[in-house]
Amino acid sequence: MTHRYIKLGLTAAVLVLAFAGLLWSTLQDGTEYFKHVDEVMANPQPWENKPLQLHGYVVPGSILKRQDTLEYKFKVQNNPIRDPNPGHVVEASYTGIVPDTFKGEAEVVLRGRLTNSGFHTDPNGVVAKCPSKYQEKATAGS
Amino acid sequence: MASLGTFLLLAAFVTCSYAAVISVAGARRRSRRLIESGIGAFYLICAIMTAASAVLINAFLTGDFTIKYVVHYSDSVQPLLYKLTSYWGGLDGSIMFWVFLLSVFGSLAVYVNRERHRELIPYVVATISAVNMFFLFLMVAHKNPFTTYLTAAPTEGEGLNPLLQNFYMAIHPPSLYTGFVGMTIPFAFGIAALITGHLDDSWLRAVRRWTMFSWLFLSFGLTLGMIWAYEELGWGGYWAWDPVENAGLLPWFTATAFLHSVMVQERRSMLRVWNVTLVIVTFFLTIFGTFMTRSGVVQSVHAFGDDPILARLFTGFMVTILVFSFSLVIWRLPLLKARNELDSWMSREAAFLVNNWVLLFAALFVLFGTMFPTLSEAVTGNRLTVAGPFFNKWMTPVGLVLLLLTGVGPLLAWRRSSLGNLAPQFLWPGVAGFTAGGVAVGYFRIPVWPSGLCFALCGFVVGTIVQEFYKGAVIRRKNSGTDLFTALVGLVGRNKRRYGGYIVHVGIVLICFGFAGNARKLDEQVLLKLGQETKIGKYTIKSNGVKVADDGQKQMTTAYIAVFVDGKEIDGLYPAKWAYRRHEQEPTTEVAIRRTPAEDLYAVLGGFDLSDQSVTLQLVVNPLVNWIWVGFGIMALGTGIALLPERSFAFALAKMPAEAAATTVALLVLILLSGPALSAQTNMGGDMNTRTSFYARTPFEKQMQHEIVCTCGSCGHQTIAECRKDPCGTSHEMRGQLAAMVDQGMNHDQIIQAFIAKYGTEEMLGAPLDQGFSRLAWLLPYLVGATSAVAIGFAAVKWTRKADEASVGAPAAIDSALEERIDDELRDLD
Repeated sequence: MTHRYIKLGLTAAVLVLAFAGLLWSTLQDGTEYFKHVDEVMANPQPWENKPLQLHGYVVPGSILKRQDTLEYKFKVQNNPIRDPNPGHVVEASYTGIVPDTFKGEAEVVLRGRLTNSGFHTDPNGVVAKCPSKYQEKATAGS
Repeated sequence: MASLGTFLLLAAFVTCSYAAVISVAGARRRSRRLIESGIGAFYLICAIMTAASAVLINAFLTGDFTIKYVVHYSDSVQPLLYKLTSYWGGLDGSIMFWVFLLSVFGSLAVYVNRERHRELIPYVVATISAVNMFFLFLMVAHKNPFTTYLTAAPTEGEGLNPLLQNFYMAIHPPSLYTGFVGMTIPFAFGIAALITGHLDDSWLRAVRRWTMFSWLFLSFGLTLGMIWAYEELGWGGYWAWDPVENAGLLPWFTATAFLHSVMVQERRSMLRVWNVTLVIVTFFLTIFGTFMTRSGVVQSVHAFGDDPILARLFTGFMVTILVFSFSLVIWRLPLLKARNELDSWMSREAAFLVNNWVLLFAALFVLFGTMFPTLSEAVTGNRLTVAGPFFNKWMTPVGLVLLLLTGVGPLLAWRRSSLGNLAPQFLWPGVAGFTAGGVAVGYFRIPVWPSGLCFALCGFVVGTIVQEFYKGAVIRRKNSGTDLFTALVGLVGRNKRRYGGYIVHVGIVLICFGFAGNARKLDEQVLLKLGQETKIGKYTIKSNGVKVADDGQKQMTTAYIAVFVDGKEIDGLYPAKWAYRRHEQEPTTEVAIRRTPAEDLYAVLGGFDLSDQSVTLQLVVNPLVNWIWVGFGIMALGTGIALLPERSFAFALAKMPAEAAATTVALLVLILLSGPALSAQTNMGGDMNTRTSFYARTPFEKQMQHEIVCTCGSCGHQTIAECRKDPCGTSHEMRGQLAAMVDQGMNHDQIIQAFIAKYGTEEMLGAPLDQGFSRLAWLLPYLVGATSAVAIGFAAVKWTRKADEASVGAPAAIDSALEERIDDELRDLD
C-alpha cells in the first residue's frame, strides 16, 4: 500500500512540476502589466519596452489623424477630465481602426509598449469604455 | 405598482424561509403534513415570483418611469420585444429573473419527483428555498428592481443599450440563465442525498435529465453569445476569453464532466465522491460566475459595475456553499465508497476518468486565467493580465486531447480491452483520421499543429461514431430481421442516451472543425477612397462610397462595397454604422457578412469621411466559421434525442414496433428542419398594397417589381415594389428603369440580366438565383421534404413486411462476441 502511495505521490509531483514549469514559461510572454498613467509616468524608465496595459483618459482635442491613413496620435492623462488635476500625460500613437467610443474624455485601456518617444499601441490595442452612462456590456474586443 | 412589486418580493422571501424551515422540520419529525405544507409553500413561491415578474413586465410595457429600473433600461419608443427583454437587461432585474426561473424549475422538479424520490424531496425544497432566499435577500436589501424615485420622476427612459437591441441578445441571457439556474436542481438533489444518506444511484437518475437539459441551454446560451459577438460587436471573432464569457464556460466544463462520469457510476459504481463533488462544483461555479461578472471583482469591458457590498454578500454565500457542501461530503465519505476498482487503464471507465480530469483541468485553468489579474494584484501588488493568446496556447492542446478521447472512449470496452480486440476496433477510425489529416496537410497545406492535427482527430472521431452506428445497426438487423435503416433508427430509439450522445459528439466535431479554420484567418484594416481597391485572400474589394439615411429611429451610414473574385463581381457588401436616437455617441456596428460553407467574408465599417467618400474598413476572412453554428444544431438534436422521455417511448413501443416510434422522431426532426428553410422562401413575398412611384401597370411589371430588390441599402433589402423609404431615390430610379425595359418589350430573363449587368450583383434579386450555391437555398426544403416522403414510404413498407419475414426464418448467426458486448451494454444502459 505504501509503495503505491509513493508511486502516486511521485507521479503527482512530476505532473505538478511539469505543469508549473510550463505555466511559468508561457506566463512570461503571455502577461501584461495593467497600470495607470501616473504609476508608469512617475518613473517611466523601468517600464520602457515592457508589455503594458495603460489605463487613462483621452485628453479632449488631442486626437490627430494623418490624412488618408489610419495613423493616430493622441494624449492620455491619468485622471478623469472633470478632475481639476489631470495627473501625468503621455503621448500615444496607434495605427488601425479605433472603436466608436474612442474620443476625447473617453476612458481607455491601451495595450502596447512605452518608448522614449511615447506609448506605441499594438494593433487592435485600443479598448475604450463608454462614457459610463451604461453599466453593462460595452464593446468587447477592440 | 412598484410597491406591489416590492411587497411580492418580500412575500416571496418570507414564503421561502417558511418552506425551508418547515421542510427540514417535517423531514426530521417524519411528519407528512409538515412536508406537504413545505411543498405547498414551495409552489406558492413560484406563483408569487410569476406575479412579481408580471408586475415588472407591466411596468416596462406601460412605461412606468417612476421605477428607476424601467428608466435605466427602456424608453417609450423601443420595440415591444426589447421592452420585454429589458426585464433582464440590468443587474437588479437579472437577479429577479434568476429567482423566477429557479422557482419555476424547482416546482417542476419537485412535482415530477415527489413520489419517486419521496425521501429526498423535503431537503430538495429546503436547499432550493435557501438559494432563493439569498437572491431574494439581495433584492430586498440591496438591489430592488422596484425602487422608485423619491422626488420627481423622469418622463422618459434612457433606453436599452443599442448593442443589446439585437435578436440574439434578446434570447441569449434567458438561455444562459436557464442553463445556470438549472444546475441548482442537481445540486439540491445531491445535497438532499447527502443529508438523508440515500446515496445509491437513485438521486443520479433524478438529476441526469436536469443536468442534460441545463447543459443544453448552457451550450445554447454560449453559442448565442458567440453569434452575437460575431455579428454585432464587429471585431471579426466570436470568442475573446473575456471574463464574462469564461464565467459561462466554467460550469459548462464541469457539467460536461458530470454527464460523462455519471455513466461510470451507473455502470460500475465507481467515482461516487467524484460525482457528488462535480455537482457541487458546477453549482458553485454558476454562482461564482454570477459573482465575477456582477461585483466588479474582475475587470472586464462588459461586466456590470463595481459593487463592493454585492461582492461581500456573494463571498459570504459562496463560502457557506463550499463549507456546508463539503462538510456533508466528508461526513458521508463512508457511504460513498466505490464498490469497484479500476481494472485497467485500457478500459472505457479509464477513458471517462481521463476525460473528467482534462475537463476539470480546463475549468481550473480558465478560472485561473480569469482570476489572474486579481490574484497577481493581491500577491505582488502589480496587476498583471493575460490575454487571448495565452488562453489559446493552453486550451488548444486541452481541446485536442478531449477530441481524441471522444474518439477513443467508445472503442474501449468496459473493465478492460485486450490488445487483440483493440486493433480491429481502431482500424477504420484510424484510417479515417489519417486520411482527413493527410488531405488537410497535404492538399490544403494546413500547418500540422494545431489545425492539421485537429482535422485528423475530427476524421478519427467521425470514423469511430460511424463505426459504432454501423456495428450496432448490423447486429440489430440480424437480431430483428429488418433492413439496415430501420435497424439503425431502432438502435437509436432503444438506447437514446448512448446514440444521442454520439450525435452530440458529431456536433462537437463540427464545432472543432470550425475552430480549426482559424488557422487560415485573414484580418486587414484598410482605408479606401471612392473607387479604390484592395485584396484580401481571393477577394478583391472595391469601395463605391458611403451613403447616409435616416429611418426616424436611427441614422444609418452605409458603405457600398463590391466584391470581385478573379476579376468577376460576385457580390456586394453593405457594412454600416447605426446611430440610435439619444445614443448618438455610441453607434452600433452593422457587420456585413458574405457567408459560404467554406469561409465568411466579413466587413466592418470602421470609419468614414463623407466629404471625400473614403471609408475605413476592417476586412476578415473567417474560414469554416459557419460549421460552428451547424455543429451546435447537431449537438442540440443529439441532446434532444438523449432527453426523450423513456416512459413515452415504452408506451409507444407497446403499441407498435420500436422502429415506428424512432422513425416518427426522426421524421419529426426532418419536418422541423424544413420549417426554417421554407420560411426563408415565404419571407420573400411582399404585400401588394405598397405606395410607390411608377405603379405597376401590368401584372408582369408588378411581378418584376416584386423580384428586384432596392439597392439603397437602408431599407433592409426590400423589393422595389415595397421599399417605403419615402422618398427613396434609388427604388424610384430602379422602378423607372424597369418600366422602360418593360416598354421595350424585354422578357423576364432579359430584364434580370440587364439589372445584373447594371448593378452587378445578385444582391438586388428578391429570390436567390437558381444556380451554384444559390440553388442549395432553394433545394433544401424540397430535398428535406422528398427525403421525408421516401423515408415514410420506406418505413411503411418495411413494417408491413416485417411480420411475414419474422415467421420465415431465424436471424442469421453472427459474431457472437461482439453481439454479446453490444447487447450487454444496451441492457445496462436502458
